[in-house]
Amino acid sequence: MRHPTEGVLRRLLDEPAGVADADRAHVASCPACLTTLESVRADAGAVGAALGSAPRVDVDAGWARLAATAPAPRAAAPARRRRWAPALRRPAVAALGFAVVLSGAGVAAANDWLPIFRTEQVEPVAVRTGELVALPDLSAFGDLEVTGEGEPTEVADARTAEERTGLTVPDVGDLPVGVSGEPSYQVVDELSAVFTFSADKAAAAAAATGEELPAPPPGLDGSRVRLQAGPAVAAVWSQDSGLPVFAVGRAVAPTAFSDGVPFETVRDYLLSIPGIPAGVAQQLRDFSPEGATLPLPVPADMVTTSTAEVGGREATVLESRDGTMAGVVWVEDGVLTAVAGAVSTDEVLAVARGLR
Amino acid sequence: MDLVRQERWTATSPALPAARRIAGTARPAGTVRDDLEPVFRAEYARVVAVAARVLGSRDQAEDVAQEVFLSFGRSSVPAREARGWLTVAAAHTALNLIRSGRRRTAREEVVGAEPAIVPDVADAVVSREEHARVRAALSRLPRKQAVALVLRHSGLGYAEVAAALDLSVGSVGTTVRRAESALRKELNPHASPD
Repeated sequence: MRHPTEGVLRRLLDEPAGVADADRAHVASCPACLTTLESVRADAGAVGAALGSAPRVDVDAGWARLAATAPAPRAAAPARRRRWAPALRRPAVAALGFAVVLSGAGVAAANDWLPIFRTEQVEPVAVRTGELVALPDLSAFGDLEVTGEGEPTEVADARTAEERTGLTVPDVGDLPVGVSGEPSYQVVDELSAVFTFSADKAAAAAAATGEELPAPPPGLDGSRVRLQAGPAVAAVWSQDSGLPVFAVGRAVAPTAFSDGVPFETVRDYLLSIPGIPAGVAQQLRDFSPEGATLPLPVPADMVTTSTAEVGGREATVLESRDGTMAGVVWVEDGVLTAVAGAVSTDEVLAVARGLR
Repeated sequence: MDLVRQERWTATSPALPAARRIAGTARPAGTVRDDLEPVFRAEYARVVAVAARVLGSRDQAEDVAQEVFLSFGRSSVPAREARGWLTVAAAHTALNLIRSGRRRTAREEVVGAEPAIVPDVADAVVSREEHARVRAALSRLPRKQAVALVLRHSGLGYAEVAAALDLSVGSVGTTVRRAESALRKELNPHASPD
């Protein structure tokens, strides 16, 4: 008979009962297999020794530590009035999640996490407002599970914000005209999200648009992508009315991990899902994991974008067409910084270039 | 102000919280699953052991285990899949740590109060030098092989490894064998501790 594979020999060492009788009988009487078995055993032994044995642990102490760090009830944190319009946030999530998923995809529960995406630069994706809202909601294609508190919490001062996030709060030199007073400081803790692609859900979503879902590539169903972002900190200046007029923020830029299902495969598949506006698909096609670009969706009919240099880095500049608002955002060493407000482009750039 | 709001939000926090609203399986904020403690008590030692085999440090391994259980507590992973999920997550988290010292540093800054990493070696039998080589070699293995290897050496059965990694039981032996063969080649068997 044929010699059993080395994989079978390997199992023979650990779980002989799991190896077919015929294979066991063969090995027992085959000098070649016995020789191989010995080298398999030697390798296993050497690697086992190199990996070391299990350390002794104090389970009670471990549990006490976990219980102490487990999430505190939400009521403990002062409730902060939500000023950021959810309707505007949602498309941004979808776009971010989508772009990251496009950058690669993974396999089941915590399988094969590989870093596939770390934001190195920001690029605006110009879309029309209608398309922005129509950007695919990822929940249609699978499950999204978020770990970490996403709500911004106001903290007393910059030092507290720095201690809590580990980020340096940007120090603004001269404020633009019309912006005055002390800012409020907000922090967001590290967040991670796991997106699990589900062929069933995606098929249902496609069916809802009256179309059929293309057959997913092998291994994609149940695939997971883990996104990690934050912590983040922002200094926000407000008018007396409470409306924010100027903000400077900093965040650990988003990173994604997957098991390395070929990026092109996943990208092409997702782009083929019905319901994605053709224009968006075309633009997203330009993104690659190598570029590690964070797409920043902007409504093309309201905002113009350009680039400028901030501290030797290329930054993305956004300006509302009516000239009332401007912002600039860039990434350096995995940290994303943004300056934005109801001010002119020159003013945001002046502040951005003056940050420490 | 809408633009500024969106921009600020997008820039400083990629708005992942909104995902919570659309999540199919997310657990409400601030709650943990009821069975966390029994699962923790049953699996903690094993989860630490998995991470320690990758990291060569009990302290770091315990940090990883804490992180993994915290995620588990917020997840809705079925209890019967807990062991596989936890051990795979521990292996990946630990492998990610050795793969990217940068991320770990960032995290430690955030955590701040994290205890100093003591260069302890779980087992005095293995020298630190050899552990460094093992870690380097592990990080170069295909991820699935590395995880299967560590799980197997942490006492998971072939069927458990197969279920956890979505492999057929028959291919676990092959995967582990390949990993061991590759690792053995990388670990210079003639290295003398000089």
